[in-house]
Amino acid sequence: MDESQLIARVRAGDSAAERALYDAHVDRVYRLAFRLAGDDALAQDFTQETFIRAFDRLGTFRGDAAFSTWLHTITTTVVLNGLRKVKRFRQREADIDDAHDIGVTQRHAEPDLKARLKQAIDNLPEGYRTVFLMHDVEGYTHEEIGVALGVETGTSKAQLSRARAKLRVALSDFAGEWVT
Amino acid sequence: MMDQHEDPKFEHWLKDVAKSYHAPHPTPREAIWKRIEDARRNKRVIELRPWMRWAVAAAAVLILGVGIGRWTARQPAPSSRATTVAAADSTTSAQSDLIYQMAATQYLSHTEAFLTSFRADVGSHGTSNGARFARQARDLLSTTRLMLDSPAGRDQRLRSLLEDLELVLVQISQSQGGHDRDLITQGMNQSNVLPKLRSAIPAGPVPVRTEGAL
Repeated sequence: MDESQLIARVRAGDSAAERALYDAHVDRVYRLAFRLAGDDALAQDFTQETFIRAFDRLGTFRGDAAFSTWLHTITTTVVLNGLRKVKRFRQREADIDDAHDIGVTQRHAEPDLKARLKQAIDNLPEGYRTVFLMHDVEGYTHEEIGVALGVETGTSKAQLSRARAKLRVALSDFAGEWVT
Repeated sequence: MMDQHEDPKFEHWLKDVAKSYHAPHPTPREAIWKRIEDARRNKRVIELRPWMRWAVAAAAVLILGVGIGRWTARQPAPSSRATTVAAADSTTSAQSDLIYQMAATQYLSHTEAFLTSFRADVGSHGTSNGARFARQARDLLSTTRLMLDSPAGRDQRLRSLLEDLELVLVQISQSQGGHDRDLITQGMNQSNVLPKLRSAIPAGPVPVRTEGAL
C-alpha cells in the first residue's frame, strides 16, 4: 500500500493505518526532536505532540508536498515553540539564581572537544542551529528545511554557511584536527 | 565556484564530530504510541473546544469595551453612562466565566512548562534545583487551590485535572530530593498528568494560547 492510500485510510478512521503511518515516520521525528532538544523526555513529548497534531490536521494535508515534509513542518514548529517555552522558564529561574550567586566564583576545567562543540552549537542563534542540525547532522536537504521552517532555500543555505563559520571560529583551538 | 568561506576539510570534520551532539537514543516507539493514544483519548474528553477561543477573544474585546465604558462614564455625559452600565450588567455573568476560563488556560500553560522542566531536571539528574522547584510548586499550589474554588472548578473534568495537579504539586513542594523526585516523575507518567494537561490547553490565538505566560 502506498502512502497516499495509507493517509486515505487514516482519514477514514482506520486505527491500524494510523499506527502504520506512525511507524513509518516516528524514528525521523524523534531523532530530530532529540537533536534539537537534547533530552529524552522532551523529545518524547515533542514527538507525541507532533503526531497528535498531524492526526488532528490530516484533513488539511493536500498532498502538494510529501507527507514527510508536511510532518517535519509540524515537528519543527512543535519543537522550536516548546524549546522557547522551556528556555524562557529556565532563564527566568536562572536569573533568580544568578542574583543569589553574586560573589561566588567557580573554576571550570578546560573543556574537551565534545564539551566545546556542545557549547558552540548551543550558542548558535536558533535559526543557524536548527538549519545546521537538520542539514549537517540529520541529513535534510535545503529544500526540506526551507519548507519545514517556512524560509527560502537560499536562506537555509546562507544560515548553514554562517553557522559553519561561527563554529569554525568557536572551535579554532582544534584546527589541527581538521587540517590534518 | 567555491565560496571563500568554504573549507571542505573543516566541514567534513565538523559533520563527523557533530554526530555526537545530542546523539539520539533508540526511539521508544511503543511508549510514545501509548502516550499518543492516551492523550487523544483524554483530549476527546477534556478539550476546551475551539469555539471557546472565539468566545474568549470576544470576551476580551467586551471587557476592554466595558473598561473604556467605565472610564468614559466618569466624564460628564449622563446618557452614555447609563447605556454603558446597562450593557455591563447584562454581560457580567458570561464575562466572569470566560475570565476564569482564560485564567485557567494561563495557569495550565504555566503548570505544563513547570512540570516539563521539573521532569527534564530529574531526567538529567539535576540536584541543585530542588529548592527552586519546591518554591515554584508552592506558588502553583496556591493558584491550583484558588482555581479549584473558582467557577473553573465547577467543570468536573477540569476539576479532576486540577486535583491531579494539586497532588503532584504537593509532592514536589515537599520533596526531599533524590529518590523522592524519581517517584514523583514515575507517578506523573503513570497518571498521564502531562498529556492530560496538554490536552486541556487549547491551541489558538495569542489571548488563549497564553504566549508570554511564562
